[in-house]
Amino acid sequence: MFLEQFTGNLLQGIVLGAVYGMATMGLSLIFGVLKIVNVGHGAFIMVGAFITLWLFNTLGINPIIAVPVAFAVGMGLGFVFYYTTMRRLIKAPELATLLATFSIGILLEELVKLMFGSEFRGYNWVVGKINLGVTVLPMTKFYACLGSVIIALLLYLWFKKTRAGSAVRSVVEDDEGARVCGVNVGGTYALSFSLGIGLTVASGVLLTMFIPVGINPYMGGGYTLKAFVIAVLGGLSSPYGAFFGGLVFGLIENGSYTIFNLIPGVEPFALTRFLSFVILLAILLIKPTGLLTTK
Amino acid sequence: MKKDISKYYPLIPVFAAYLVLFLVGRNISGMWQLVAMLLFYSALGQAFNIFLGMTGYVDFGYVAFMGVGTYGMALAITKLAHIEGLGIWIIIIGFILALLMSTLLSMAVGAVALRLRGAYFAIATIGVNEGFRFFIEGARIWNGSEGIIFVAELNQILGRKTASSLMTYGADIIVLVIAVLAAVVTLCYMRSKIGYALTALREDEDAAKVMGINTTKYKIIAFITSACFAGLVGASSWALKTPYVFPPEVFEIHYTVEAIIIVLLGGAGTLLGPLAGGLIYGISKYYLSILLPGFQLLIFAPIIIIIIVLFPEGVVGMLKCKLRDSTLARFII
Repeated sequence: MFLEQFTGNLLQGIVLGAVYGMATMGLSLIFGVLKIVNVGHGAFIMVGAFITLWLFNTLGINPIIAVPVAFAVGMGLGFVFYYTTMRRLIKAPELATLLATFSIGILLEELVKLMFGSEFRGYNWVVGKINLGVTVLPMTKFYACLGSVIIALLLYLWFKKTRAGSAVRSVVEDDEGARVCGVNVGGTYALSFSLGIGLTVASGVLLTMFIPVGINPYMGGGYTLKAFVIAVLGGLSSPYGAFFGGLVFGLIENGSYTIFNLIPGVEPFALTRFLSFVILLAILLIKPTGLLTTK
Repeated sequence: MKKDISKYYPLIPVFAAYLVLFLVGRNISGMWQLVAMLLFYSALGQAFNIFLGMTGYVDFGYVAFMGVGTYGMALAITKLAHIEGLGIWIIIIGFILALLMSTLLSMAVGAVALRLRGAYFAIATIGVNEGFRFFIEGARIWNGSEGIIFVAELNQILGRKTASSLMTYGADIIVLVIAVLAAVVTLCYMRSKIGYALTALREDEDAAKVMGINTTKYKIIAFITSACFAGLVGASSWALKTPYVFPPEVFEIHYTVEAIIIVLLGGAGTLLGPLAGGLIYGISKYYLSILLPGFQLLIFAPIIIIIIVLFPEGVVGMLKCKLRDSTLARFII
């Protein structure tokens, strides 16, 4: 009985992990290229969630369609924030970039609160379930997982096969060298930043397909912390590392929840959150380059 | 001898400002609430500046130290309430416990996080407050998510009259003392080897190391000092002023952000900066919340971005540049 529940939870964990991984790729991309930690990461996920909510509840549009819409909105937001703020802070000390991204996060949260209010919302998109033997998976979760994998693959192909993708990779390796070779480094920064934000906002849609309740302007904070753990698991500057880090994190989160549930007298949910913090510190201490990198 | 005293001239404007604040609060009716808030923000900025300003490291989990300080006071009062005749000593025991707990937590966090640099340090600390909060809630220690309410104990030990005067203005006067103390410690650090070492490591950590400075040691000194003051601020401004403690409130990351804003606004690494930043931030927040309730953050966020982009050295930093070589210069650091 326990074993069945445990494997079921782990399966759910992989599905959730794929979405988590996708939700972290933007963070890793921005750090890899611009060396900027986007502390407002969760706020962009929240924007994606509200786009889904608004499209579904007022216009009746399928959340799957919301993914490209959110991606486009995110790209737009990314360009705006890059050219107004981040461009001037590329070589600034950490204090400036961290506080700037944090403030952007607060700005988004407050703007969304102004437009939609701060109560918890949700939507109900019913498309059936699939039975996996040990657990029953709603189709929405399956779509979210599938969408994450497809987006991750597309990003991989974009990196490997296109000119812009190789420009990004060259800037990650060595921005001065790339500049010498004729790569438009400034343009690559702008593109990577907005692509990262676009991916993050799109991931907000997928995350709400997974958890369609509890949508409110301040939902992003928890995701920011999770995204940091995942990004560090994957080596912080590699988007694919982040994707696999997400899978590992999904397994850890769901697995540990099941185990904490067995201990009487504790709150398993809170302990799971605490565990993710401990993992973060442990990885940073033992291997700051990430568990999934060879360096 | 004369030279020795002139080293401490910059404390004069600090003392003067806190004295004026105190007098305004005591003598103009209805001002104490604002003054208390300004004292809180200045003390917070003054305490955080010792680490953030002097090392240039961003500690996003700073509020955790205030949180455990609050818990220290709360635990001292609730656990020792049954002992007769402790009276006002219980507050002192509370402060000692708060100091002890914030020191211990800062040593634990510092031992791990201070090995990391730059962005990695910030990421490591961003989870400290949340992690500690979920630890308290998850493991159900210290009453878990229900928190601790100790108004009754405070009234019982100190008597209703003393307790209420402590809550209305006594706690704020303690905050004032802590703020002044933090300023004095900041200047002492600046004028000693610690300050020079910290400046060196803030500008270029590798170069400082090559020069033979034990950067880790000085980072840890600054980190623990700063955390201790945070614990004291938490114990007085939170635990004594409002005698209850709830985990989600005392580990709220927005206080860290407010502290960062204050330090940056005033000028990171300066003595007067946190005070100036605290006053500007506190006054604008107070009047914005009256004029446009609920919109403070919406207004502050773009202001912070503008400050970072256009005036990264802060108010006092700019003032220092303007007043260079004038007689006023030695009063401003």
